[in-house]
Amino acid sequence: MMRKVGIVNAAITECRGRWVEKTYWGLFQEAVRATLANAKMTGDDVDSVVWGIYNDIFEHQAIPESALTGLVAMTNKPGVRVTNGGATGFYAMRAAIAEVASGMVDVVLCAGGEKATDCFDPVSQSPTPMVINTIAYSWDPFFENPLGATANDSYMQMCLGYNDSHPGDIGDPLVRAKIVEKLCRQGNRNPYAQRRNEKVTVEQVMNSRWIIPPFLRLLEACMYTEGAGAVVFASEDKARELAERTGEPIVWVRGVGAANEAYAVGRGGYYKPLDRIVSDRLAAERAYEMAGVRPADIKIVELHDAFVAQLMITMGEMGFVPIGRTRALIDDGIMADIDELGDSKAPPDGQILVNPSGGLIFGGHFVGGSNMFSLWSARKEMIARQVPLALVHGTGAINACYGGAIVLELDERGM
Amino acid sequence: MKGKEKEMVIPRDFNLPKEVSEVRGQDGKPYLQFNTGMLTLYKQTYGELSRFFMALREARLIGSRCKTCGQVMVPAASWHCPNCNFAEMEEVALPHRGVLAATAPITFFPSASFVGQAPFCRGYVDVATEAKIASFLPCRLRTTTGIPRPGIFVKGLELKLVFEDKRQGTILDIFGVPMVEIPKELRKKEPLLASALNLKAPPVPKIKAEAALKPALASALKAMQGMAAKIKSGTRAEKDLAGRKHVIKVKTGGGEFDIKIERGKLAVNGSSPRTPAADFTMTVENPAVFSKWVAGGSLSDAVMEGELWLPNLEAFPVLYALDRLPRSIRRDQEEK
Repeated sequence: MMRKVGIVNAAITECRGRWVEKTYWGLFQEAVRATLANAKMTGDDVDSVVWGIYNDIFEHQAIPESALTGLVAMTNKPGVRVTNGGATGFYAMRAAIAEVASGMVDVVLCAGGEKATDCFDPVSQSPTPMVINTIAYSWDPFFENPLGATANDSYMQMCLGYNDSHPGDIGDPLVRAKIVEKLCRQGNRNPYAQRRNEKVTVEQVMNSRWIIPPFLRLLEACMYTEGAGAVVFASEDKARELAERTGEPIVWVRGVGAANEAYAVGRGGYYKPLDRIVSDRLAAERAYEMAGVRPADIKIVELHDAFVAQLMITMGEMGFVPIGRTRALIDDGIMADIDELGDSKAPPDGQILVNPSGGLIFGGHFVGGSNMFSLWSARKEMIARQVPLALVHGTGAINACYGGAIVLELDERGM
Repeated sequence: MKGKEKEMVIPRDFNLPKEVSEVRGQDGKPYLQFNTGMLTLYKQTYGELSRFFMALREARLIGSRCKTCGQVMVPAASWHCPNCNFAEMEEVALPHRGVLAATAPITFFPSASFVGQAPFCRGYVDVATEAKIASFLPCRLRTTTGIPRPGIFVKGLELKLVFEDKRQGTILDIFGVPMVEIPKELRKKEPLLASALNLKAPPVPKIKAEAALKPALASALKAMQGMAAKIKSGTRAEKDLAGRKHVIKVKTGGGEFDIKIERGKLAVNGSSPRTPAADFTMTVENPAVFSKWVAGGSLSDAVMEGELWLPNLEAFPVLYALDRLPRSIRRDQEEK
């Protein structure tokens, strides 16, 4: 990177299935207000803003960020909006990091969020079919959308394809249920998590209703969430100066990697293969290379888990477990147990704390800011557990063809 | 237009009345919400894709082949190869057969635009199998053996590409059917039209009678009859069945029985010649599925797992209504 970039602070709103108390204006304002308050900053301390908002139809406005500028004290500053499917939050943060790294500005506010469940289907008299209808517009209008492709298909097709090539790995429902149970206990400790009061057992996961057999039961899927999150990125000097206001340690951005696969699937050439998530692999490899680290150095991972089966594949693609034997997460005890670690212990050698926030399955998934939610959690956990390195991951777009990864490092003065 | 009304882009009941209503927040306070929509209609051009869709209208399948690298795009999504500095691509006629590139997902819970059309299956078909580099055709997959269920559309399955009799120029003009289900004399026919296949009324699969399953049927019948007796006037369970009228024949390894739904009531009886003709038949090997259902399980889950066989998607919504009964009865009782 051209210049060192630090995270000064971050905050999120509570994650809810629906916020009737707030519009997306109110949600973004709350996230920004909390972030600036945590950082003891005002809007005047910020040079520019990057917005993460996935889908105009959810916000019901074609330039949704334009209405936010004045409401979050960013008037007359440069602002750019990023929209990259499920990976919107990651890509917004990548753009914010690049603004600082390039030397263009010193302090960037990056805010992402979504108001997803005001959508309503008059036929079933419920929001869900209309929410998934809106996401289905992520598919092209010529081929896939008329075929009835859904958001679930994006990840399900990858899981089915992976299982064709690697049977007996993600296909074991008990392994997946054990991961869900761990994520649930982690989500229970996150005061902002959507499902923080839910207790889910292995048996409940394995008996929950099917969404798409054989890899997706109701309790194995992420949620639709309304909420917002914000992060302040700053140059080295500015980060050190701002951090003195709060005394909170800086978390540095050590590496950023991204890759977008082709939309069309196929055989050979540049076509997207159906049995791997190449975008995740390339993104992680590039982030490691920039950071000069290996997966074995990383003890906290905040990963974009659309489905549990996809979490397993992504952990494989990012090099934490072998492809074809990602069940080692459970079989070999690689996934740390939050009840053993409590609030302040670091995972022991050979273990990784995966999604201490509860992830997108138990924590929340406000699409444009879900990866800010993940980064917010990773930063908090690194400081609390004194873990030097963490990884934040984002995925999105049809057939998981967008991938991103950020390697974070806790400032040595914070250790 | 007289007779049948034209199908419209936005269905008639896909709308909301103009109104502002109150909704309670988690904080217990009232908030307002307004009914609205975000509406755009299109006459969307197929542009350079027109050639592909025109071919579909003529019951032909075409791809575009790069004159430099030989890759074949299926469908013909571009006429310039992005891998060869945008070298020109030429039209290539493709066979009406292919191989399923990966096990395909089945959609049981569709998005709002597809409500009433599920379950359906959609997958990627490798058509230009001779080419070293090729894209896959995204395609609807249909079977002549009932509704799609796991285990049919698996990786490597050989498919016949079949055309609708009436084609408009959409990707739904063409669909894949397992080659093994196509009568031998039709396998090489190009184009093969949907009307040549029996897609609407699949033969009911034969279930082998097993004496060992008879007690399971007896206890399932007892459980269902016990449940039916609890559906009283004015209850949630009665509402679940309101407006429905069905006669369903069920064939199991332990024997047959009939389910009758009428005037908000459920009747379950061993098969009798006096039962009126069934709307449809469902089959399952082990009748214990029905005991599990009464205990709070789910018949639709049994369909999704492929255990319970249904002939067509018209039959599917009935199971959702039946699935609600055990929970509704429990809630009715809790309120007493």
